Amino acid sequence: MSDFIRYTVWFLCLLGLPVAAQKRAFKPVFTNMTEFGVSLGQVRYNVSAVTESVRKQQNITAQTFNGVQLRPKLAVGGTVGVDWYSSALLLPVCAGVRYDLAQPGAKNLRVFTSLDTGYGFTWLNQDPTGYETKGGWVIAPGIGFRTGRPQNANFILSLSYRRQEAEVDKPLFANEIYKSESRVYNRIAFRVGLSF
Amino acid sequence: MRPKLYLLLAWLPLLATSCTDTCRETRTYRRFTPMTLSTAQIRQGVQSEPTRTLVNPGKLYTKDGFLFINELKEGIHIVDNRDPAAPRMVSFLRIPGNGDIAIRNNILYADSYMDLLTFDISDPQNVRELKRVENVFPNGQLDGGWWTLDAQRQLVNDQKVDYVTETVKTNCDGPVMNWPQTWTSLTSGSWSSFSTASFDNASAALNSSGTGGSMARFALYDHYLYTVSQTAMQLFDIRNPADPQLGNNINLGWNIETIFPYKDKLFIGSQTGMQIFDNSNPEKPVQMATFQHARVCDPVVVHEDKAYVTLRSGTSCQGFTNQLDVVDISNLYSPRLLKSYPMKNPHGLSVDFPNLFICEGAYGLKTLNAQDAMNISELEHLEGFHAYDVIALGKTLLLIGQDGFYQYDYSNPRKLRLLSKIPVKRPYTVS
Repeated sequence: MSDFIRYTVWFLCLLGLPVAAQKRAFKPVFTNMTEFGVSLGQVRYNVSAVTESVRKQQNITAQTFNGVQLRPKLAVGGTVGVDWYSSALLLPVCAGVRYDLAQPGAKNLRVFTSLDTGYGFTWLNQDPTGYETKGGWVIAPGIGFRTGRPQNANFILSLSYRRQEAEVDKPLFANEIYKSESRVYNRIAFRVGLSF
Repeated sequence: MRPKLYLLLAWLPLLATSCTDTCRETRTYRRFTPMTLSTAQIRQGVQSEPTRTLVNPGKLYTKDGFLFINELKEGIHIVDNRDPAAPRMVSFLRIPGNGDIAIRNNILYADSYMDLLTFDISDPQNVRELKRVENVFPNGQLDGGWWTLDAQRQLVNDQKVDYVTETVKTNCDGPVMNWPQTWTSLTSGSWSSFSTASFDNASAALNSSGTGGSMARFALYDHYLYTVSQTAMQLFDIRNPADPQLGNNINLGWNIETIFPYKDKLFIGSQTGMQIFDNSNPEKPVQMATFQHARVCDPVVVHEDKAYVTLRSGTSCQGFTNQLDVVDISNLYSPRLLKSYPMKNPHGLSVDFPNLFICEGAYGLKTLNAQDAMNISELEHLEGFHAYDVIALGKTLLLIGQDGFYQYDYSNPRKLRLLSKIPVKRPYTVS
């Protein structure tokens, strides 16, 4: 977990470097990125001396980034998303950064990078009786394409890594005194969306 | 371009996680391993020992400023609590297989696996064994483990209890199914409360029974000691308190766990409700009715014609509501639920009218004003600690928590004042 915090801080510091030379003052403007896609991963469980089970996970994820375009290439704002994991509905509320990395071949296509970090809430989640799900920290760096001119609405395609923590208190049976599960979701998310 | 390259490289270590969810479930449970003891071993094991730390406290009795705290399966801690701000451990009375105690005047009754022991506690610093009635209990349950008496071979087959914590990898999908409970209750034996702090005892003026605070399998009424096992109720005639005589044995059915005498009735607690026995002839209690507003997992306290019952999730009785019920018991044949108050996870409770104290498990202690049953208001909510059971002792409140017994002064019920703490070192931790 501390690794991710370090990388986040490092990444945010590096953002300061490219903005040295500006020709004229850039007026900050509202920007939005809304995406919808799947979050994919695997899980290894029932580990014993003899066998192990592996399952592939695929869940729906969606988010909307609303912020301010501070520089031609840099936007800062907040992200609210929703992740429909198999047994928890989490609402990550994050601070987000979007940075345009390059414009390959001066075509109508830009590569952007994103970083969101925040906390996943369980406000919308319904637990079965006896279970209590608590949210946790989430961090999601990503990279993507945007097609279209900067002054128009763009289509975006993004690929991001998502790490979400959660904790569940489970009901006790018979001889049990304490039962709790700590979860870390490590997923790759493919999303498509719009940006303006 | 350099900074941009660094940005891309910054993500590479993340690939090492290979997008695999990791979910670990940690659970603590009791593991039972069979063990055998000889009856001779058990009988010779009774002695007075130096004080020790509380580990697994069960039933608690308070008498004349002294606390008699049962240490499950081991014996009884004797604590001098005449100054609640400075309780002092006096001694430890070792009784193998002890699960329950009852006190009347200066006589203490305790079970020791299959036997009933009688002690003289007129001088708590110097407890003397008076009598042992042998082979009266055929089986029993202590801390979730069962024991049975093999009278022919003079052996007791018991189960040793270990607390095991293990971590397993799960598939992150959480609830898969709720397994139905098919076996009988395996409660820890120390969380539920049948506090009799304010019930009318016909012989209260002459005798003084101690005030019990935990799940009661022993009960005193008139000149009888009632003991319940899983299926039957065994009476002891204690006309001569130092010399209990074996009395009637009444079959009760299955899943019987607790007994609570109230006026001339006996409430016998099971997992589905409480059976009410008419005790006007104490030698022969007769079943009268069933009180369905409380099961054995639901602590009950009674004040005059109102019963206060707490229901909670996470017990072996498989309930999922968390609330306080106020029941009108002026007519026991048809008790009426007056009102339900939502709670967080209520455990034991105690009443010193109009103050009602409710332990909210991991959520602390609540002090309520129960003057008006239809409008019970909260006076104070102390948080930040576990509260399992509580006994109101007139001026001080004894609270049984995760890591100790706390004593509070409640002369101002809106602001409880902590007086002292008797530490408990439990063999497992509950976060």
